Amino acid sequence: MIEDSAQNQLQRLQRLQAFETEALGFTSQLYRVALRLCRDKAKAEDLVQETYLQAWRSFHRFVQGTNLRAWLYKIMFNVYYSGQRREKLQFVGTEETIAETIAYDPPTPQQLTDEEVLAALEQLPKDFQVPILLADVEELSYREIADAMGIPIGTVMSRLHRGRKLLRTELTGYARNAGYTISK
Amino acid sequence: MQKMDCHNFKEVLDSYFCEELTVETNHLILHHAERCPPCRSEMASRRNLRLALQRACAQDQMSDDACERLRTLLRAEAKAGYVAKVKSAGSRRGWWAAFFDLKLALPMMAGVAALLVAAIGVATYMQSPGRLPIPLDPAETPSAGQVAALHLSNALMTEAASGHRKCASHVKSDSTSQGMPDEVNDLDPACVDLDKIAAEGAQGLQLCLAHVCGDPDRHFAHLIYRHEGQLISLLVTPRDGRAMQTGQVPIFVARLAELQESQQTELNLNAYQTEKRVILVVSALPKSENEKLAHTLALPVVKHIRRIENQAALLKWPEFDRNFAEIELLSTARGGGLR
Repeated sequence: MIEDSAQNQLQRLQRLQAFETEALGFTSQLYRVALRLCRDKAKAEDLVQETYLQAWRSFHRFVQGTNLRAWLYKIMFNVYYSGQRREKLQFVGTEETIAETIAYDPPTPQQLTDEEVLAALEQLPKDFQVPILLADVEELSYREIADAMGIPIGTVMSRLHRGRKLLRTELTGYARNAGYTISK
Repeated sequence: MQKMDCHNFKEVLDSYFCEELTVETNHLILHHAERCPPCRSEMASRRNLRLALQRACAQDQMSDDACERLRTLLRAEAKAGYVAKVKSAGSRRGWWAAFFDLKLALPMMAGVAALLVAAIGVATYMQSPGRLPIPLDPAETPSAGQVAALHLSNALMTEAASGHRKCASHVKSDSTSQGMPDEVNDLDPACVDLDKIAAEGAQGLQLCLAHVCGDPDRHFAHLIYRHEGQLISLLVTPRDGRAMQTGQVPIFVARLAELQESQQTELNLNAYQTEKRVILVVSALPKSENEKLAHTLALPVVKHIRRIENQAALLKWPEFDRNFAEIELLSTARGGGLR
């Protein structure tokens, strides 16, 4: 019995070490997305924490050699959706804004500070913010984003397209207010 | 995509940066940018925007406390044995199908029965006084017992107050310190350079003494500062059974281990806990001032020690060390090695 117990414990230690080595490097990346989902630091930290606990409990199901980061994002969205009673990210009150901006393709300002870019991103509805963050900051592929968020890849592409246009529109406003010249 | 004009170029440019386009479309993009200066400029601007987004978002980091809480919870779960079974090569049929296999049904039922008995046993044990608190679910409200388990003992507070009095009596008005001596390394390696670590929170305080003190049962890494004629002690000591009110060292839960206070004849004490250590600030200052000082003086030390403990914790679980040795012995006796 002692031998079994010791072996089980050693196995758990080895698995936890492997898990920590492989997975804990992504905490801040997950946190950034969680922050956009929850819009509150404490809630975002709780979401990341719950994600890791779920991931540890399911680590035996993770297929080695596949994308661990994408797998963690998928778990995080599942945890988030289940907390939101499975209401996936919906367009709320953004259709009119989109209708106004969609025909206009704003040029990208040449000079921008990081703070202005962040402020413009914060202005976007979170259903646009999150795919932009996943694609342009965390550099997930469109397919990985679709899998993680549980939405069709076409929806990901459409949200990215509209979201990026909205972001440029926001930034153009910032650039003009700051007196920058916008290239046409 | 057969034709790449300025409109198409701008439509697919972001996907080009995301490496989502075919080789042919990538080629068309580059070819168009080469001969169209406005689109080349737009390309540079969008690349800058992407980089600015990455830089700006990189500033959002999980706090040290949250990372530490996460590691503690993971370790507690692993320690408690909550880990799903590793699939063996022959288990691809799935456990549900295996359940109906007559050869497995009986042992599995016996296993379920054993689990039920174990669960009842654990529940009974948890009701008994003096038990160790179980790891907390972050969403759960901690029970009074779990919070009480983290209370520090009066004996520790008395020893800390006594340590402050004894050592402060040797401090003269012109005493200055050269820093923590090397012998602290034998006592507690985490306290090497304690004076330098504490310096961040010791602005305006003059370091008078840095040494190791105490008796065989309780030792301290001890710094004494002077501020406006008052002597202030910062003490670091092991978080052992004697340091805890219950006499047992509970699993450490950072979010519950708040600053604790105590009063000992004319002295005020405030204490922080880490998983393995207690950090105390002692002085004759009024209660509120001592507490304020504890925040500024002790927190950099607490953060430093927690970081060190996090790095070292995993490989220093005594149970694992002991069991690993047992497995090694068993394997050696059988002439086999570990897998």
